[in-house]
Amino acid sequence: MAGRPPFTNMDRDTAAALRRSGFNPRKLDGAAEQLCTYIYTELLPAPPVSGAPVRGLVITDAAHDPALPAADGVDRLSALPDTLLRHILSRLAVTDAARTAALASRWRRLWLSAEPVLVDTFLRPDDYLWPPTPANTPAITAAVSGILEAHLGPFRCVHLTCSHMGAHRAQLARWLQLLAAKGVQELVLVNRPWPFDVPLPDTLFGISTLVRLYIGLWKLPDTAGLRGASFPHLRELGICTVVMEQGDVDSIVARCPVLEILNIQGCHMGLRLRLVSQSLRCVQVCSSVVESIMVVKAPCLERLVLEGCRHTAAGLSTRVSIADAPKLHSIGSLEPGNHVLEIGGTIIMAGVKVSRSSILTSIRTLSLHVRFAVPSEANMVSTYLQFCPNVVRLHITSRKCSQHTGNLMLNCKLGPTDSAMSRIKVMYFREFRGEQSEIAFLKLFYKSAKVLEAAVVIMADPCFTPFREDVAFSKVWQASEVSRCQLISVHLGTGPEGGKAWSLKNESYFPSEELLPVKIISLGQ
Amino acid sequence: MATREAGKKMIMLKSPDGMEFEVEEAVAMESQTIRKMIEDDCADTAILIPNINSKILSRVIEYCNKHVPTTGATGAAASDTVAPAALAEDLKIWDAEFIKVNRATRFDLIQAASYLNIKGLLDLTSQTTIDTISDNSLEEIRSFLSTKNDYLPEEEQTIRRENQWAFQ
Repeated sequence: MAGRPPFTNMDRDTAAALRRSGFNPRKLDGAAEQLCTYIYTELLPAPPVSGAPVRGLVITDAAHDPALPAADGVDRLSALPDTLLRHILSRLAVTDAARTAALASRWRRLWLSAEPVLVDTFLRPDDYLWPPTPANTPAITAAVSGILEAHLGPFRCVHLTCSHMGAHRAQLARWLQLLAAKGVQELVLVNRPWPFDVPLPDTLFGISTLVRLYIGLWKLPDTAGLRGASFPHLRELGICTVVMEQGDVDSIVARCPVLEILNIQGCHMGLRLRLVSQSLRCVQVCSSVVESIMVVKAPCLERLVLEGCRHTAAGLSTRVSIADAPKLHSIGSLEPGNHVLEIGGTIIMAGVKVSRSSILTSIRTLSLHVRFAVPSEANMVSTYLQFCPNVVRLHITSRKCSQHTGNLMLNCKLGPTDSAMSRIKVMYFREFRGEQSEIAFLKLFYKSAKVLEAAVVIMADPCFTPFREDVAFSKVWQASEVSRCQLISVHLGTGPEGGKAWSLKNESYFPSEELLPVKIISLGQ
Repeated sequence: MATREAGKKMIMLKSPDGMEFEVEEAVAMESQTIRKMIEDDCADTAILIPNINSKILSRVIEYCNKHVPTTGATGAAASDTVAPAALAEDLKIWDAEFIKVNRATRFDLIQAASYLNIKGLLDLTSQTTIDTISDNSLEEIRSFLSTKNDYLPEEEQTIRRENQWAFQ
């Protein structure tokens, strides 16, 4: 051990215990660090103020010279109204803002009436800001306690992400009490492992002022504690790698009359979600074990996203069931190999007749993850499109097929063109590797898509493809010759194998084209 | 007095000391206050800007001129050749130069930015005050901001103790 850096996320006792159980603590420590970084950078909202004020705005000599009185010799600062001074205070790091209380009684009044933004990463003495690595915990937790005790509230925004709260459970309980008593609009509360299941006190359910709440790396309090509680203002809820019981999310959603956005990541218990909400507009579930998602009644739901969701038991499929969601316009990413789509009680599969009750007319954007080398999966593209007849934007991600499937000839039996694809206007094809089955799909698609306006093919990173880059390019070219569309572009991918991890910061439904790197070859004539 | 010049709509701004400034509508609309007046159709004649003298108003217009988003043919051509990041860097340097003014002028600019509701200018003008508070001792801040300490010594001690975490 000598000379090696200490663990970032676990103490020596935890490491020793893991080693005794046959795990490699260093590997687990690294994985925990990766998970934390993913949560910080892709899932959590960014704090509203920056920690480091922009430096380099030089104060001129004239401004600095104390011998030079202000132009008209009066106390100019007092002339500024309170609202302006509060604006200045709200842009200060919270410690600097608090120090001004000692300037004069007016400043103390201003500080106490300002709604501070408390971001614990900004309290680190070394100016290291983002993403937060573990802090010198005792000092930071003490400072957070000091601030929460001293200010009368309410707080505009509190982000606490860099303390190992497993070792400060009494403080954690006190913080939540103070926040519940003083009020906070935006709360981001993420623990630092280890352990991964520090229980959150159920005082959390008493913070009724919340508008936005993100919790990460906790054990959710027993939702029996919700009785009588509610979040009347909560619009956005994020739950990242939180241990919870079946039904907990449903119970919380039922207490949030204006909740619009629900984000869940890293739920490993085999989530069964039953959505009944008059207000939800967007539901995103990523990297989770999901048994079923049932949209029972969600009159405002517009987007339903599942990324990287699997069923617990190998061989079983996650059931995605849509009963009543008249405004749902985007759905994805459905994986024919892992998900089963059910519309109005009818399970969608090849050969099922389209009927009025089993059709989703509101969907405009559809995203699919398909292993084209598996013929039954490849054919599901067309089947889904039959049941979502108004889709105009199709996002396809090609998944690698690990099993050997014999002859890869595909789609011949679908006939010369496929009418279900004829209405697509925009198509994205990600993770193109140049396999024969992918080319067969592209050919069929181009031939069928009569109103196609633009197509974008994004290659897998060349180090994961069986072909050289230029060979793969020529394959796309060859497949595209049959298209009448003038706007077909091919991009070189640089991401990890299988595509990037889902980010909650995607503004459009799926990662937009501006993220695309480097090489663009337009195949338009 | 909206006039036309080279296809662009112009707006007349008047300071209380009688000076008139003719500016493009898009530039004037960097100010949310003026934008609202224009959108509410209260701006067909010259707009009087009370409380902001011509010296400060001309600086404010200078700022808005620089910060108005470039659009249309020329704007597109510019962004083809210059990366957005470089433009932003350029603006930052310009801002740093712009704010090299004496204390009195800066306070006037803060008030003007607040009244006219120009967020970028408000942030910029507040920033020096923010830097001063971050970087200096309380005594230095007091002298810089010309703020009188109205605490008794023991009162100040109590308040320092109250916020002890901030003074470490």
